[in-house]
Amino acid sequence: MKDIFKEFDGYDQVLQEIQVSKKHWKSYAAEAKTTADHINLLHPWRIDFRVLEIIEETQDAKAIRLVPENGYLPPFLAGQYIALFLEIDGIRTSRPYSISSPPNQAGYYDVTVKRVKNGLVSNYLLDEVKRGARIQASGPAGNFYHNPLFHDKTMVCIAGGSGITPFMSMIREITQCGLDREVYLFYGNKTLDEVIFHSELEELSSRFEKIHYIPVIEQPPSDYHAASGLITGQLIRNRVGDLAHKTFYLCGPKGLYEFCIPELQNLGIPLKKIRKEVYGPPEDITRYPGWPENVKKNDTFSVRVNNGETIEVRAGESLLVALENAGVIVPSLCRSGECSMCRVKIVSGKVFQPQGIPIRKSDRTFGYVHSCVSFPISDLDILV
Amino acid sequence: MSKYDVIVVGAGNAGLTASVALSQKGLKVLLLERHNIPGGCATSFCRGKFEFEVALHQLSGIGTSDRPGPLRMNLAKLGIMDELEFVEIPELYNVFMADGFSISLDHDRERVVSELQQKFPKEKDSIEAFFDLVYKYANDMIGIFFFKDPEPSREKYPTMYKYAFRPSIEVLNEYFSDPLLKAVVSAYWGYIGLPPTRLSFAYLAMLLFVYIEFKPFHIKGGSQALSNALVNRFLANGGEIRFNCPVKKINIRERAVKGVTTEEGETIEARYVVSNVSPVATYYQLIDPDLIPSSVYQEIGAKSLSPSAFTLYIGFDCEPEQLGISGTTNFLIHNPDISDRALELMKNTSISEEAMLLSCYDVADPDFSPPGTCQASVVTLKYGEPWLRIPPRQYHKVKFACAEQMLQRVEQVFPGLRDHIEELDVATPLTHMRYLGHPAGAIYGFEQYAKDSMFFQLGHYSPFKGLLFASGWVEGGGFQPTLQAGIHAAKAIVKEKSQ
Repeated sequence: MKDIFKEFDGYDQVLQEIQVSKKHWKSYAAEAKTTADHINLLHPWRIDFRVLEIIEETQDAKAIRLVPENGYLPPFLAGQYIALFLEIDGIRTSRPYSISSPPNQAGYYDVTVKRVKNGLVSNYLLDEVKRGARIQASGPAGNFYHNPLFHDKTMVCIAGGSGITPFMSMIREITQCGLDREVYLFYGNKTLDEVIFHSELEELSSRFEKIHYIPVIEQPPSDYHAASGLITGQLIRNRVGDLAHKTFYLCGPKGLYEFCIPELQNLGIPLKKIRKEVYGPPEDITRYPGWPENVKKNDTFSVRVNNGETIEVRAGESLLVALENAGVIVPSLCRSGECSMCRVKIVSGKVFQPQGIPIRKSDRTFGYVHSCVSFPISDLDILV
Repeated sequence: MSKYDVIVVGAGNAGLTASVALSQKGLKVLLLERHNIPGGCATSFCRGKFEFEVALHQLSGIGTSDRPGPLRMNLAKLGIMDELEFVEIPELYNVFMADGFSISLDHDRERVVSELQQKFPKEKDSIEAFFDLVYKYANDMIGIFFFKDPEPSREKYPTMYKYAFRPSIEVLNEYFSDPLLKAVVSAYWGYIGLPPTRLSFAYLAMLLFVYIEFKPFHIKGGSQALSNALVNRFLANGGEIRFNCPVKKINIRERAVKGVTTEEGETIEARYVVSNVSPVATYYQLIDPDLIPSSVYQEIGAKSLSPSAFTLYIGFDCEPEQLGISGTTNFLIHNPDISDRALELMKNTSISEEAMLLSCYDVADPDFSPPGTCQASVVTLKYGEPWLRIPPRQYHKVKFACAEQMLQRVEQVFPGLRDHIEELDVATPLTHMRYLGHPAGAIYGFEQYAKDSMFFQLGHYSPFKGLLFASGWVEGGGFQPTLQAGIHAAKAIVKEKSQ
C-alpha cells in the first residue's frame, strides 16, 4: 500500500527527476545565512551606539548624536523612532525617541531629548550621558511616516514640544533630497525659549518656498507679534488656505491631540486624513474616563508573575514599569500601547486600559494586554 | 531526569497543534517561540482602527457540523472547537480579468458547473466532464489514503493511477479549448505556488474538491484567534510556553536529541524536540554541521524553495459594496496566460501582469472590521531571492514602487478604491523572511513539483533519534496541512513513547 504511487502513470519520469535533482543537489548554506544577514541589515534587533556628540538645542533639550559601533546604520522612514535601552539606578528600562536626523544621513542618528519634569529617563539622558557613552537601541520602528501610496503630497504637521522630532527628520529629508512635497508646520510651545530647532526651521522656510514654518507660542513675550496662543482651526485655515488634498500629522503631548483634533474636525477634516503619532503612556491614568472611582492612584495590588514571585504594584503605575522596577525583563518598544511588544497574559484579576488602544480582538478574548498601558485595579496573576 | 518530555521549537501552526496534542496525552511540553506572539503566519497586526489578517484566506477542511471535514474533526480532538467560531465563506471564488470579464463561482458543485457553462456555453459538456474527473480523482484519493484500502489497484482507482502525476495544464488542454476557461478553473494554483504547467493534477483536483465539498471558511477574530485558542488549550493542559525566547542550538549526542540551548544561553534537556523551524534553518543553523549526515543535505538540497509573497493590507473607510467588492475571494487575473511565464513574473520584484488575490473578509463576516469600514489583503506570489539583491537603502523605495504598481492593478478592477484608503501597509518577501525566518521568505516551504509532491515528502522524519519536524515544509504548505503536520508529529512521539 505504501508505495502504490510507483505504479502511477508517469512514475518513471518522476523517479528520474528525483534522481537528477539528488545528483545535482544544492547547498542551502548561503540562503540560510543571507536571509538572516539581510534581515539584520534592515531590521536589526539591537544596535550598539556610541554617543558622538551632544548638541545643546535649548535650555531643556539636547540632541544626542549616536554612531553605530559597527559602522552600519539600517535605513528608516522619516518619522520612525528607536527605543533606547538603559539601566538607571539598577533598573533596566527603555524609551522610544523619534529620530530627528534625516534618513539620507547614513553616518549617525540624532535623537532629541527634552526634559520631562521628574522624568527618570530624560533627566538621565540630559544630565548623566556624556560624549563617548555607550547606548544600546532597537532598530527603527513605527508607523508615523509619509506613506506615498495614499497620503497627500502636502503635509500639514502639528507639533508640540518634543513632538517636533519626527517632523524635523521629514523636513530635513524633503529639503536635502529635493522631494516633491510641501509642508506646513505648526509648532506649539509654552515659551519662545523652548522652541527646539527654531533657527534651523526659520532658515529652511526662508530658503524653500514649500516649507512653511509657523511657530505658535502659548505665552509670548509682550512685544511678540507672530502666532500665539494655541494651534486653532482658524490659525490653520488662515495659513494653509484650501484644506483639500492635504494630510494632517500630529505629534505632541496628550493636550495637543485633545485640543487640535476637534479643531481639525470642525474644519471638516475627516479623521482618516489625520495621522497621529503615539506619545507615551498616560501621565495620570486615574484621570482617564472609565477609571474606577474606588481605586486610588497609590492603592497597591499583588501581582503574581509566571506562577512564582509576587510583586506589589501601585494602581497608578503601568504593569510594564512595575515589572521593570522589580527586575522582570519584558521586551518593549513604543511604550504607548501600539507595537504589542510588551504583550502579557492576565490569567486572573483586572487591569484598566485606556480607550482606543489597538489590541487584537482575540487577544482581548484570551486576556492578553499591552503591559505598557495596563494598570492594575485588583490583585493579578500574569504570564510574561 | 529532565523536566520536559518534549521541547517544541516555534509556535507556528504546526508547533501549536503538536504542543496541544502532546500535552493532551500528559506529556510535559515546553514551547519556545522567538516572537512575542504565537501563530507564525497565523497572526494579525493592528494599524489604526484595523486589525489586519496576515495569512489566512480560505481555511480548508472544516466542513459543517453535520458534515465535518478532517480539520474540524482534528481541532475538535484538540479541544478547541468551543473557543472558535468559524464563518463560512459563501462562495468558491470570483475571477476578474483586466478586460472586464468576471465570473462568480458558488461553492456548490452543480452551481460551479452551471456558472461556468453559462459563461462558456461552447464547452458545456467538457465542463461537466472535467468536474466528473475532479470528483473521481478525489474519491480515489479518499479510498486509498483516507480509508486506507489495503489492496488498492489500477482497476479500482483508475483516475488516481492515470492522473496523479499529470501536469494540470495537460488535463486542462485535454478538456478545454478556451484559454480563459482554463485560467478560471485553475485559479487556485496560487494556493500551492506552482502554475498549471508545473502543478500536478493531484493538487488542482484536491483543491477544487476540498473547497467545494467542505466549503471555504474564515475564523471570527482571524487566524490569531486560532493561534490564541491553541495556546490557551496548551496552558490548560499544563504546557509551558516562553515567548521572546529564540533557540540557538538543538543539542545532539550520539545521533540522539538531548534538548536545546536558547539564545540567552540556557540549556534545557528533553528526549524529544519538535522543530517547527524550516528544515533548512534547522539543519544549517541549529545543529552542529559536523553531526549531519551528507544524505540530509542531499535530500533537502534536491528540493527548491517556494515563492514568498508581496501583500498590501488595506483598510477602507467604507463598506465593501461601496468599493464594488461583492465577494470575499477575488482573483484578479491580467490575462488568461497560464504558461511558465507566471514563473518568470514571480522572479521579478516589480508587478506587471501577475495574477493576484484580493480577499475581503468583511463580505463574509461583517464584524471583521469596525462598523462602516472594511479591509482587504491583496497578495501576489514572488520569489524572495531577488529581494535579497536590493541594497538596504533602496528597500523602502522599491517596496513603495511595487505597492504602487499593485494598487494600480487593483484600481483597474475596482475604480476609485484609492480614495477610500484609511490605512495601508505593505509586506514584501523580506517581511516574511523577518517574521518566519524561512530562507528566501518561502511561504509554502519547499515547492511541490510532482517529484516533491505529497507522495515523496519528508514528513516528520529526521536522522536523529528524538528530533521530529512539524511545519509547512514537511507535508505541504497552507493552513490545513501545517495544522495536521503538528498532530502527526505528536502522534509519532506518543506512539514511540508507548512502545
